[in-house]
Amino acid sequence: MKKYIFALLFLLPLTLFANLNIAVTYPYIGALTKAIGGEKVDTVVLAKGNWDPHFVVPRPSLIAKVRDADALIMNGGQLEIGWLPPLIDRASNPKIATNAKTFLDLSQHVELLQKPASVDRSGGDVHPDGNPHFHLDPNNILILAGTVKEFLISIDSQNSAVYEKNYAHFSDMWNKKLEMWKSKMADKNALKVVQYHNVMAYFNHAYGLTSIATIEPLPGIPPSSKHTMELIELIKKEKPCCILHDVYHDTKTAEFISEKTGIKVVIMPHDIGALDTIEDLVSLFDYLTSAIK
Amino acid sequence: MKKIVIFTALCATLTFATEHEHEHGGSFEQSKFIPDISLIVDTGYVHRNVSNTELEKSAPTSNYGNYGTFKEFNTNNGFNLNYAEMMLHSNVDQAFELDGIFHYGTESVEIEEAYFTTKALPYSLKVKGGKFKSDFGRLNSQHAHVWDFADAPLVYNSFLSPEGINAPGVQFQWLAPTPWYMKLGFEAMQKGNGGTFANDFDKKDGEPLYVGYLKNSFDIKDASVLLGVSYANGVSNIKNAVSAAPIYKGNSEVYGADLSVKNYFNSYSFINWQSELLYRDMKSDDVTIGKDKKQSGYYTQIVYQMDENWKAGLRYEDFLQDSYGAKTTLNASYKTSEFAQLRLQYSHDETFKMYGNNKAIDEIILQLTFAIGAHGAHSF
Repeated sequence: MKKYIFALLFLLPLTLFANLNIAVTYPYIGALTKAIGGEKVDTVVLAKGNWDPHFVVPRPSLIAKVRDADALIMNGGQLEIGWLPPLIDRASNPKIATNAKTFLDLSQHVELLQKPASVDRSGGDVHPDGNPHFHLDPNNILILAGTVKEFLISIDSQNSAVYEKNYAHFSDMWNKKLEMWKSKMADKNALKVVQYHNVMAYFNHAYGLTSIATIEPLPGIPPSSKHTMELIELIKKEKPCCILHDVYHDTKTAEFISEKTGIKVVIMPHDIGALDTIEDLVSLFDYLTSAIK
Repeated sequence: MKKIVIFTALCATLTFATEHEHEHGGSFEQSKFIPDISLIVDTGYVHRNVSNTELEKSAPTSNYGNYGTFKEFNTNNGFNLNYAEMMLHSNVDQAFELDGIFHYGTESVEIEEAYFTTKALPYSLKVKGGKFKSDFGRLNSQHAHVWDFADAPLVYNSFLSPEGINAPGVQFQWLAPTPWYMKLGFEAMQKGNGGTFANDFDKKDGEPLYVGYLKNSFDIKDASVLLGVSYANGVSNIKNAVSAAPIYKGNSEVYGADLSVKNYFNSYSFINWQSELLYRDMKSDDVTIGKDKKQSGYYTQIVYQMDENWKAGLRYEDFLQDSYGAKTTLNASYKTSEFAQLRLQYSHDETFKMYGNNKAIDEIILQLTFAIGAHGAHSF
């Protein structure tokens, strides 16, 4: 009996000072949560930064990762529709249910672009709520940091001072960076670009770039030769600067187009870990704002 | 037929009702409460070297005792409408979710599944109740449209019936607090499912079918390993499908072991090696009707998904006792999007006897599967 009491005495402080265990869907959310939560939170990131965010594999091992989470933060905007619902279903964890106050859908807190007036699958795999890649506008990162701060305070008010302080620190740093990136991108205003999939919509919106076409004929549908030929003609006429390409699709078609038209293929990482050198949010936007020469 | 009419009328009313609500400007609008709805249509063209009648008269040698037919879909030479499956899903409230899956054949409607699931139980517990597919083994709980092949493995059709273990009952599942994924499950189901656990005569009240399983999964780099063991125990009262004479009466146990290794090369490409071994031990109560039986069968398959469009599979299956040959299946499928798939499958099956002689069946199936409505989750 004594043994058990001793064990309990040792374990008790651990539970008292235990960190919030927060599961997040994508690496950028993990970085934001860590920036605001600091030492008070532990994060578990479910998706890999160098794979397609639409096609995360719902491995059973991910169920074990969300099983004991105290909270879940997701991107939303239907980006996780193909893989997160079965994980939530099977994890049997009421704290990550969509109606729980420990569940946060970031897409509810930013304005989504390109919300389609009507949706029909003949238009490809469209997102009815709008383009969900909103974190690639660095101005939105600040809004999301504020959202995460409010969320952490709402579920752990004891540490609200810590979260406020971390947020203030983060937003100071980020505002300085925003100025720097803005001046770096100033000469790119009104530049025309082509993309594989419209991943960079918010980045383009932030810096005045115009995306004239995508290599995919329709969202989520792989390239076809007919569409590629039409695209080559369009590029010759419109003269965009370059093809912005994600890291997870094959660049074969983009390179073919590049060969035929002479425009460059520029790799644009979409998240932390997309390339080995992208280790945090700052290096992500440092890279993106330097990528287009 | 009547059921189809009633159901269709119900759907039409629902649609009309929601449109009507819109017109009234929304003070009492209910349209946001419509559940997720999807419809899956599966159709195929079949060409095989035996006629439909010859196939009906054939007996699968491995299935000793003619315990039911082996075919649920793509039964006839020529065009087949296999099914139209309507799925409805929604939260009931903060405590329950409800799922309804309705299977429309050309002349019948069946409630494939209709069950509630709890969503707020503590200690990683989950309870499901209603009529549902058991989580026995790797494949039993999967719906036909997510299968890697156009048909289920012989050992599943033979031991668990072409519908699999699917009956009214209750399911308890618990996720163990282990660093890897470990799920323990127990089910009690109403017997009378068909296959080994048919309840064709001498019907008695009670006597449920019990199912238990333990599933584990862990990752090694980009590969996920799944390891499972399953067990089912129930009473069997089986009649001959043709002569209707009782052929077995007793208690039956089915043991299952499954192993999958699925390696992802990137977001769209993977290779999956999956195998399953099932063993049944049938203890006869009345040897004048049928004797004790012990039998095992397995399948092993490799599926390679090249990219977003193309996938290919190879499957080999056999029985370890009373087997007169194996079945080999090869297929390739092409997806125009996540919602439409064309599949061409060839199989060579030596497990059948026609008029008492071994007869190899060669079969080609061209299968088309479509899904509309709510976006289903990607399968694992």
